Amino acid sequence: MAEVNSELIEKLKQLIITRLKLVDLTPEMIENDAPLFGEGLGLDSIDALELVLGLEKEFGVIIPDAEVGKKVFQSVRTMAQYVLDQQRTL
Amino acid sequence: MGKTAFCFPGQLQERPIFNEGHSLNRDPRFAEWLENVSRQTDFDLIHFCFKREEAGVNLKLQMATYLLSMFHFFRLQAEGWVPDILAEHSMGVYAALAAAEAIRFEEGLFLTESIGRLLERESASSRETMGSIIGLTYEEIATVCQELEDHSISIANYNGSKHFVISGDEVGVEKAIASALSKKAISASRLSFNVALHSPRLSGLRQEIDGLVNDIEIRSPKYPLLNHWTVGLLKTEEIKGFLSQEIGQPVYWDRCVERLIREGVGRFVEVGQGSTLSKLIRWINRDVETFSAGDWF
Repeated sequence: MAEVNSELIEKLKQLIITRLKLVDLTPEMIENDAPLFGEGLGLDSIDALELVLGLEKEFGVIIPDAEVGKKVFQSVRTMAQYVLDQQRTL
Repeated sequence: MGKTAFCFPGQLQERPIFNEGHSLNRDPRFAEWLENVSRQTDFDLIHFCFKREEAGVNLKLQMATYLLSMFHFFRLQAEGWVPDILAEHSMGVYAALAAAEAIRFEEGLFLTESIGRLLERESASSRETMGSIIGLTYEEIATVCQELEDHSISIANYNGSKHFVISGDEVGVEKAIASALSKKAISASRLSFNVALHSPRLSGLRQEIDGLVNDIEIRSPKYPLLNHWTVGLLKTEEIKGFLSQEIGQPVYWDRCVERLIREGVGRFVEVGQGSTLSKLIRWINRDVETFSAGDWF
């Protein structure tokens, strides 16, 4: 399994901020391992749909269903790992 | 920038918690307003209960939704905000009508509670619910509903190109959720409702709601008010009929937003707690400005 790098983490944080229009947030304010949903960043399923589209548009990565989505959207780090794994299989 | 629309959301899905750090607790106007409200209703917003005749969670959520929308509206007004147009989603119509001064604040409270109690009565005699499905297209959702024809599942809310709410009997909605997930929905889950709101199953309440609205004097709306069903501006003489029928008709929120943009709206203010409508608008059109009054102050 390839290691995620800080550049990818940064890009994903930027994607979250841009797609969700979180204008009051900066990438530094999002912790790599903090939960994105519920108690963490407080995102919900409408936000998830935006992130699915964002990953597809900007990274060419598909989230095929809810089950995968739950695993991928646990944190920025899990998102990065998924992007990396998918890009290596393309 | 364009025109400004005030958008009144439908029922909250969770009890609002006013802990010590809550932004409303830091606003002295909130305490004063609550004191006034407590003289006009039996519902205690802070403790989320009725003082005398207790009710189920959905009615309490409806009361909380109405009160919080009205407080945020009064606060926006006090800050100098003036809407060009109002829009409403589902049960947000009562607060929108009160904000437009088509009905009085206490009449909005009366309608929220009375219609909510009718819905509670319905829920006691039927096992119905609603579900939110995100990530499938209209065609895919329509197929899900058609495949469950024994259950009469219908689309209750058209919230965006990939966001729908369905209504029907509990077993049917559960099956629809499972079917949606198998068709690769991003999310599919039950909502808190225990009636099939915005479906033909509730059309039978029309006469009783007629009776409730009959004695209310409807005034001309101070601001144009776009309704969620026909997606037209409500005329004074149409309001009573709309109130008695809308509960059995779908919410076309996607069309409402598109119409508002055609009318020149560039800024959408969600007048209530939470940011559900803002997020739905963001999906429909990313170029317009959206924010929730509940998050902003």
